[in-house]
Amino acid sequence: MNMTSSIRATAIFMSPAALIAIFIVMPPLLYVVYTSVNGLAFSLDLYADVVASKLFRQTLITTFVISGISCFVSLVLGFVVALHLASQPARRRAILLGLVLLPLWTSILVKCFAFMVLLGREGVINSILSWAFDAHIQLPMILNRIGTLIGMINWQVPLVVLPILASLLAIDEAVYRAASIMGAKPARIFWTVTVRLSLPGVLAGLLSIFVMSLGSFMVPALLGGPKDLMLSNLVDYYSRQVLDWPRASTISVILFAISVSFAAPLALWRRSRRI
Amino acid sequence: MKKSISVSRRTVLWGLTGVLAAPAVMRATSAMADSGSLTFTGYGGSYQDAVAKAVITPFTEETGIKVNVVPAPDLARVKAQQLAGNVEWDVFDGASSEGATGSKDGLWEQLDLSSFDVADLAVAPTNEVVPWGIYAGGVAWDPTKFDAGKHPSTFADLFDVAKYPGRRTLFLNGPVMTLEAALLADGVSPKDVYPLDLDRAFKALDRVKASIPSWPATSTQTISLAQKGEVDFCCTFASRVKATNQPGGGAPLAFSFEQNLLDSEILTVIKGGPNKANAIKFVAYCLRPEVQARLNNQLGGVPVSKKARPMLSEEVRKWQPDYENPRNLFIDPSYWQANNAAVSARFKEWTVG
Repeated sequence: MNMTSSIRATAIFMSPAALIAIFIVMPPLLYVVYTSVNGLAFSLDLYADVVASKLFRQTLITTFVISGISCFVSLVLGFVVALHLASQPARRRAILLGLVLLPLWTSILVKCFAFMVLLGREGVINSILSWAFDAHIQLPMILNRIGTLIGMINWQVPLVVLPILASLLAIDEAVYRAASIMGAKPARIFWTVTVRLSLPGVLAGLLSIFVMSLGSFMVPALLGGPKDLMLSNLVDYYSRQVLDWPRASTISVILFAISVSFAAPLALWRRSRRI
Repeated sequence: MKKSISVSRRTVLWGLTGVLAAPAVMRATSAMADSGSLTFTGYGGSYQDAVAKAVITPFTEETGIKVNVVPAPDLARVKAQQLAGNVEWDVFDGASSEGATGSKDGLWEQLDLSSFDVADLAVAPTNEVVPWGIYAGGVAWDPTKFDAGKHPSTFADLFDVAKYPGRRTLFLNGPVMTLEAALLADGVSPKDVYPLDLDRAFKALDRVKASIPSWPATSTQTISLAQKGEVDFCCTFASRVKATNQPGGGAPLAFSFEQNLLDSEILTVIKGGPNKANAIKFVAYCLRPEVQARLNNQLGGVPVSKKARPMLSEEVRKWQPDYENPRNLFIDPSYWQANNAAVSARFKEWTVG
């Protein structure tokens, strides 16, 4: 495939997405920006005000902490799952991959309610533990940071498995053989071949779940406690509870800017690899 | 591998666009204004069934005006419709603090109070916001876990963590009712609660903060957290607790009438709505004593019409708050109209701090 035809093909496939972006996604987004700077009066006072507020700072820190921890744990879990999948015969892998993706096809709302039943004070897990140890056990696993992290990791793991698996499958078998012929021990093969060559998938997976998790709303709202407020919950609070739309817009724009600053390097890096 | 991911993402985007566009397309066809209809925002569930049966159907039979019920009253959507110059709703059903916030934002139509029997209403209307029901908020618990005397019954009890240890939820996630309860718990007499002494209220809340695992977003959640054992005691509403004592209501809870916060459910006519005249007729109909009695016999709620009180069934009367109880307090929407934004921000900061 030469360069021109590839660009043309890309253009055909991309045009619906571009049209949606221009006519459906952009206008409200621009309006949000417009609202946040007080329209044509163009004032950044609200930004200064928001950034100075204790509530915003606290929420920003919480957002980074929850996203950071959950992404790291998801990455480790996802890597293990991807390694296992990569070593399976193709047919079996397809079935297992289906199982990995299954949670992605379930509504996050339904999953949060399911977690309440499983992890609640009198939920399935606590009931089993109470029975097994013959004591009244009530481990607090929801309405706190733990519950939020469990809910986040649940949707992140499948998303991180896919790119890592792609990278692992792309590693040439011959590289492993060469390494072992040269006398490398399994640990060293794992570190210098498997981990190094899967880095593109690891980075892609990590950045995409991190960017997505910055905007989490449902999981902290349903499984988190009062202190697990994330930026999206703050936007919801200002837009629906106190009807302060300029402030809600300002926080949305800040959240958007943070997300873009993490997503842009990923997009650029992917493009540079393709050419 | 990569290819298949990007295709599926695009499919998802298209799907989402369809989902987002569908309500707009469907509403455009259903919300056409004509002289014989109006649009009412309803909460859904058993509440909406009762409203449909006791109010909407007989109203349509009497007047010939058709009532379209659309889900979920939401102030943000009223504001958005007015901003876009395309108001689709006529009558808004909400909490008194929502009515007050809407008044502050200029969302409501002015009403001519002379068409209502104001003297019959237990809560005075403003010229924009009309109360049409009362709800009693108070302490609730699971009676299978706590015998008489082992559970809190007043707000002072609820804030006494040493005497009644256990997890608890207060009212819905926000300062309205919560701060009033805190002040009553701290010993402020009901007549001195307004204007709220905020420092004192937050100080009282500090005492129970560690025992509050969650701030419920909806009244359904206040009940479900207590039913599932996530909390031992909760603040909730009498009619919701009554529903748990009916078939299909889940684990039955008990409710204390020893001390209650009383607030009104309100109706407003949305400014710029397509059927203003019909909307005003509907609001007036909702306040008639016989309609009030019919609705609250279904709901187990509290009528705002004084004349409706003797028309309530024996069963529903058991769930009425005691108007003569000196410990009870009526929420003052005018306080919240003036102070909601500032106090809400302080409350939110307090919850995450």
